[in-house]
Amino acid sequence: MSFKLNGVEIEDTFAEGFGMWGTRLIITAANRKWADTAATEMTGFATSVIACDCEAGVESQIPPEESPDGRPGTAIMVFGFSAKRLATPLLNRLGQCVLTCPTTAVYNGLPAEMADEMIDVGKSVRFFGDGYQVKMRMGDGWEERQRFWRIPVMEGEFLVEEKVGAKKAVAGGNFLVMGETEAATLEASERAIEAIQKVPYVITPFPGGLCRSGSKVGSTYAFLRASTNTPFCPAIKHSLKDSQVPKGVNSVLEVVLNGLDEASVRKAMGAGIEAATKVEGVKWITAVNFGGKLGKYQIHLKDCVGGG
Amino acid sequence: MKRLTLVPKEVTQIPVEAEVISPKTVAGMSLEEVQRLNVYQGKVRLTLADHFDVSGEVAETPAEQMIVVDGDAPHVKCMGAAMDAGTLVVKGDAGMHTGSQMAGGTLTVEGGAANWAGAEMKGGVLRIEGDAGHLLGAAYRGSSEGMTGGCIVVGGGVGSEAASFMRRGIIVVKGDTAPFTGVHMNGGEILVFGRAGRRLGAQAKGNGGFMACFGGVEELLPTYIYDTTFRPTFMRLYLRQLAETLNVGEALRYLDKPLRRYRGDLAVGGNAEILIAEP
Repeated sequence: MSFKLNGVEIEDTFAEGFGMWGTRLIITAANRKWADTAATEMTGFATSVIACDCEAGVESQIPPEESPDGRPGTAIMVFGFSAKRLATPLLNRLGQCVLTCPTTAVYNGLPAEMADEMIDVGKSVRFFGDGYQVKMRMGDGWEERQRFWRIPVMEGEFLVEEKVGAKKAVAGGNFLVMGETEAATLEASERAIEAIQKVPYVITPFPGGLCRSGSKVGSTYAFLRASTNTPFCPAIKHSLKDSQVPKGVNSVLEVVLNGLDEASVRKAMGAGIEAATKVEGVKWITAVNFGGKLGKYQIHLKDCVGGG
Repeated sequence: MKRLTLVPKEVTQIPVEAEVISPKTVAGMSLEEVQRLNVYQGKVRLTLADHFDVSGEVAETPAEQMIVVDGDAPHVKCMGAAMDAGTLVVKGDAGMHTGSQMAGGTLTVEGGAANWAGAEMKGGVLRIEGDAGHLLGAAYRGSSEGMTGGCIVVGGGVGSEAASFMRRGIIVVKGDTAPFTGVHMNGGEILVFGRAGRRLGAQAKGNGGFMACFGGVEELLPTYIYDTTFRPTFMRLYLRQLAETLNVGEALRYLDKPLRRYRGDLAVGGNAEILIAEP
C-alpha cells in the first residue's frame, strides 16, 4: 500500500522508534567558529549506540541575542539508554571536547519544567578545578535559581551550569529516500536534512544527518550483531529473494532522527519527507521497522505528512 | 492586584515604627481593621489612621496586595519589614529598616531610604531609586549572616558597611559606595557602577562572593592581591540579567570590558573576588 506526495510514492508504513533518554545543552563561545567546533567535537562518533557510547548531534545554531550569555551558541542533544547511561558519555565528552575548547561555556538547554530528571554536570566537572573552582549562584530568593561552576583554565575560565535537564525521549525515527540516481537521492536527502534542522528538539546523529549503509539486526556471521541493510541495497537487488528496492531505484539513503518527544520526531519526519519529494528523480519513500516487535513507538509516514 | 493607599499626614520629629505597613499584615483584613493597626511613636501606641489617611481595597492574600505610601515618609521605620509577597511602593523617602528581613515581593522606594534598608533580607526585590543610608542589606549587630537572598537595586549611592556579612543574594548600586562595602562578606554579589569606597571587602571570606566595581575604586586594601585581567563569561550573565530583569541598562556597556581580578581578604585567609573594570 502506498500513497503519493508531490508525485512520489510513499509507502504506507511506519518508522519504529525506541525509548531513550535525551538531554539538550547550549554551548557558547567567543565566536561562531569555536561554538561550532566544540559542538562538533562533543557530538563526534555518536551516530548509533550499536557501537558508540551515545547518540548525539547538533540541534541548532543559536544567535547571540538568544543565547544565555549573548555570544554565539550551538545547541546539541545527547541520547542514552537511561539517565545514568547518558550521564557518563555526557561528562566524558564535556570534559574532553568542550572544557578543552577555547572560550566555551555550557548551559542547560532543557529547562527543569520540561525535564524528567536533572543530571549533575557542572557538579562533577568542577573537580577539574582542583579546589580552585568557584560556585556561582544566581537568582537566590528573587528570580529563577541558577547554579554554575567557574573552573579556572589556562586560557581563562570555563563556565558550566551545575545541572542539565534530561527526559524520556524517542530515538530511531527514520525514513528512506529512494531515487533514480545517486545524485538525485543525495540532493533530496540533503533537502530533507535542511528541513529537519528547522524543527526544534530533533537531531540527525549520522554524518550530515544521513546513513548510507542502513543496518539490519544480525548477519550471516555469528560474531556480528548488525550488518548492511541488504533488502535496500540496489547493487544486490537481483541477488536477493527479499530485496525491497523498487523498480527504477538505484540509490537509497536513510535519514535517522532522535527527538525529545514523539511529536517532534513526527513533525521533523514530515518536514523532511515533504522536502525530499520535491526533488526530481526521487521515486519512493519508505521507513524501516521491525514489524513493531522491538520499538515502543510506531511513527506512521501517513501521519507525518498529514494523511497523504 | 488590590491597591491600598496610605497618605502620610505629616513628617514627625519622633519616628513612627510601622512594620504593619506590609502586604503580609494587611491581607485578609477589613479597611477598618487596617486603620486600627497599631504603630508606635516612641513609647506611645497609636493607630495607622493617626498617621496616615488610609483608603482603597484590601486583598485576601499578600500576593494580591499592593500598598502605596503616597508621599514622603522618612520618619516611618520598618515599612515592608519581613514582607513575603505582594507589592509596596513608597512614593517618596522612606525611614530606617525599610524592607528589613523581607523574604519576598517587591518593595520600591521612589526617593531615598535611611539606614538598615533591606537588612538581613532573605528574598524579593527592593528597589531604592534615590540614595540608601548606611548598612544597606547588612547583618544586624551580633548576627553572623546579613543578606541571605533577594535583590537590592539602588539608583543613587549608598552609605558605609553595605552588605556586611552578606551570604547570598545580589546588591546593585548605580552610584558610589561609602567605606566598608562588603565587610565580612561570605558569598553573594555586589555590583557597583559608581566609585567604590575605601576598605571594600574588608575581612571578606569569599565563598563564591564577588564585588564588581565598574566605576573604579577609591583605594584597595593591601590584603587583596592582583591575579589577572580577563573577561570572564560569568560576568556577562549578571550584566545581561541586570539589563533585562532589573532595567539597569548601563550594565550592557561593560559586557566586553576587561576586569582586573583581585583576591582576598588575605588578612582572614579569604577567597573573595574584587573585580575592577579597566577604565
